[in-house]
Amino acid sequence: MGAAQKAIYFLFHPNQLRSIIQWKVWHEPVHRRDASKETATEKACFHYLNLTSRSFSAVIQELNPELLMPICLFYLVLRGLDTIEDDMTIDIKEKEPLLRKFHELMEQDGWTFDKNGPNEKDRDLLVHFDNIVTELKKVKKPYYDIIKDITVKMGNGMADYAVNAEHNINGVNTIAEYELYCHYVAGLVGEGLTRLFVESQLANPQLLVRMDLTESMGQFLQKTNIIRDVHEDWLDKRRFWPKEIWNKYVDNWDDLFAPANREKALQCSSDMVLNALKHGEECLFYMAGIRDQSVFNFVAIPQSMAIATLELVFRNPAIFERNVKITKGDACQLMMESTQNLRVVCDVFRRYARRIHKKNDPRDPNFLAISAQCGKIEQFIESIFPTQDPKKIAAGKADAKNEPGMNTAEAVMLVLSALSTLVLIGLLMVGIAWYMGAKLDGYWDDLDKALGGSIKTTTIAAVPVRGRDEL
Amino acid sequence: MVTAKKPELGSVMVIGGCGFLGHHVVRLLLRDYSCSVSVVDLRCTRNRRPDSDGVAYHEADITDAAKLESIFAQAKPDVVIHTASPPAQSNDSVSHALFKKVNVDGTAAIVKACQKAAVKALVYTSSASVMSDNKSDLINADERWPLVRGDNQSEYYSETKAAAEVLVLAANRAPDAPSLLTCAIRPSGIMGEGDTMVLYHLINILHQGRSGVQVGDNDNLFDFTYVENVAHGHLLAARALLLTAASKTIPLDNERVDGEAFLITNDSPVYFWDFARAVWAAAGSPHGTEHVRVLPRSLGMVLGYFSEWFFWAINKPPTFNRQRIVYSCMTRYYDISKAKRRLGYKPLVSLDEGVRRSVKWTLEQQEGLKKKE
Repeated sequence: MGAAQKAIYFLFHPNQLRSIIQWKVWHEPVHRRDASKETATEKACFHYLNLTSRSFSAVIQELNPELLMPICLFYLVLRGLDTIEDDMTIDIKEKEPLLRKFHELMEQDGWTFDKNGPNEKDRDLLVHFDNIVTELKKVKKPYYDIIKDITVKMGNGMADYAVNAEHNINGVNTIAEYELYCHYVAGLVGEGLTRLFVESQLANPQLLVRMDLTESMGQFLQKTNIIRDVHEDWLDKRRFWPKEIWNKYVDNWDDLFAPANREKALQCSSDMVLNALKHGEECLFYMAGIRDQSVFNFVAIPQSMAIATLELVFRNPAIFERNVKITKGDACQLMMESTQNLRVVCDVFRRYARRIHKKNDPRDPNFLAISAQCGKIEQFIESIFPTQDPKKIAAGKADAKNEPGMNTAEAVMLVLSALSTLVLIGLLMVGIAWYMGAKLDGYWDDLDKALGGSIKTTTIAAVPVRGRDEL
Repeated sequence: MVTAKKPELGSVMVIGGCGFLGHHVVRLLLRDYSCSVSVVDLRCTRNRRPDSDGVAYHEADITDAAKLESIFAQAKPDVVIHTASPPAQSNDSVSHALFKKVNVDGTAAIVKACQKAAVKALVYTSSASVMSDNKSDLINADERWPLVRGDNQSEYYSETKAAAEVLVLAANRAPDAPSLLTCAIRPSGIMGEGDTMVLYHLINILHQGRSGVQVGDNDNLFDFTYVENVAHGHLLAARALLLTAASKTIPLDNERVDGEAFLITNDSPVYFWDFARAVWAAAGSPHGTEHVRVLPRSLGMVLGYFSEWFFWAINKPPTFNRQRIVYSCMTRYYDISKAKRRLGYKPLVSLDEGVRRSVKWTLEQQEGLKKKE
């Protein structure tokens, strides 16, 4: 968008501009990294963090100092793995051992990798990976063990997918396979993060007992991305939507993108949205276990973005034609709301759940199930932040908000009395004006003349005004 | 249910077993439990099982205490499921008298009969409406919410259901008959095969071409419950009472079933108009929501007020009134954690599937009526 276009856009969308300005001006990070005290390798790490991540670099850099470096490095290690996995110019025979042994390579002093194709966007990170190796050695043992453990699991998972010819040709078939894939690319990261949060005592240890909540956090994000990116992935000949779902609506994957099948495609996408939305309550539950503001911001921002993205893609035919994403203004507003507390994030979830339900179409086979899932999210929020208190209700002190509005007879009386007050004041003013010597007769004559005498009949209708004379 | 041995319930008597909910209770008893079944109903012709099912049918008015006692003496039930109640539809003095007679006096007679016949477990069908004053919201309400009684209760039906529930729960381990254990089930918005209220009205609205109006913003959640799930809740409660009766000790307060009321829903609150639209879609409506006009609640109330006057003037019961507007804009959904925890309740049939089955049945009924004409 050019500057002029932007200006016109914001002229008509002032709220968007307001949100952006609010975020830029008023956002006060809980922690700010102090570059002046950093070593050269630390600075290099943040340099590569900024290069490789658009969405995460800012929130990572505002993390509690205890977890700042561990999570930054965790991210870079996984990004390094990803860069090897993504690169189709690397032969599978070379790629597989790299992925499976990455956790060993990252322990070798001075290890770098320059065999990525020239177009691989994050190849620089691996070319200078020695910086990351250096910094990894300084990480506290418990944190390092977690990072290493996840790297082992992730590397093997990626290698399994890379050598799985069936997956590479046909994509994901069952919903179980789809969720397993999401587990490898997002659930595992979540597992590592939760363990880091609990290890640093910044989250409730119960989260380790309920690892299903962590899994939901990852699934929710990954599924949302997979739905949103369907067109881009289709162009790249990659398919992550499970056949078990799309096959209910079309016979061939490519048919989903034919304009003639748009309604079927929308129904399929709402099936996918429903599947993702089922993680909503568990995500909120997970966030209730975070004990540190910077960690809360770190986990809540992506979740709020995800539910907003789900609302954006829900019954949106554009996802089959091009890339869609939430506007910058909305993103800024969501970031503001995700950096407060659980209650505000719950409000975000409820707001978007209601918007989703408003877009729901009764002809869609998933209609009632989606409505029920939005209801479930609302009900869950009520269970943590109840609106009503049975004790107060029992005591007859029901919250004024929950009292019904006044009955209609009262409403009619209120409107009537407001109207008659207006009329009375009007009459009084005219009467006082007349008493003070205003020539009201002349007013009507003047008006008549001004309008060319065309309102003769109307003046008759205006007779009541003459009646004022008798006040 | 295929692999596991069916749980035992002994001799079970279903009062109102030919009614809407009652005949589903009978169906589930035969399907999911090992037991002998008897039914008491005013008339036992409709919703009757084939003779091969071995259900013993007894015709009786439940307010006839002597008749009731003789049937109890004959059937010797271990468990009594009391589902009998007149439909909650009308609100005039004749139906008021009937509500009082059947719901309160009838239930009192049943409690007496149970105590005399050494029945072990009595499960009473109450209603989630006993907690509602029919104007205030109920937001994720659970059993801690108070009963709305007397002048605060604008629906006399609900008043009598609450009175009967109090009677039944007071009879739990009563001093003069300590072996009888009782509990109450409070379902919300029952629909299903045999339903002549919720779905019948909604489908009428569709057929009259009135599905294009929505009163209120449709952000209000409401609980509707498929009848089989309600029946399931009753039988889980009966089973729990029998287990309690068999144990020597009184259960802990937070595990108790006897003397307790349980809300039962589909555990799936949905936005009020979404439910209506799901019913209409299942009934063949080709519409999405493009044709829908939204009427603000306040305007709806004014129109309802005029409608009441109009129908008063022509001396007919109003088809459209303020109470309807209030109901369609009210939030009324429940937290059923207590039933899940203590009864092990979980809906057997999803709301979606429940709507499909119920609408299919209602349409078949209407087809049948047309053919007769």
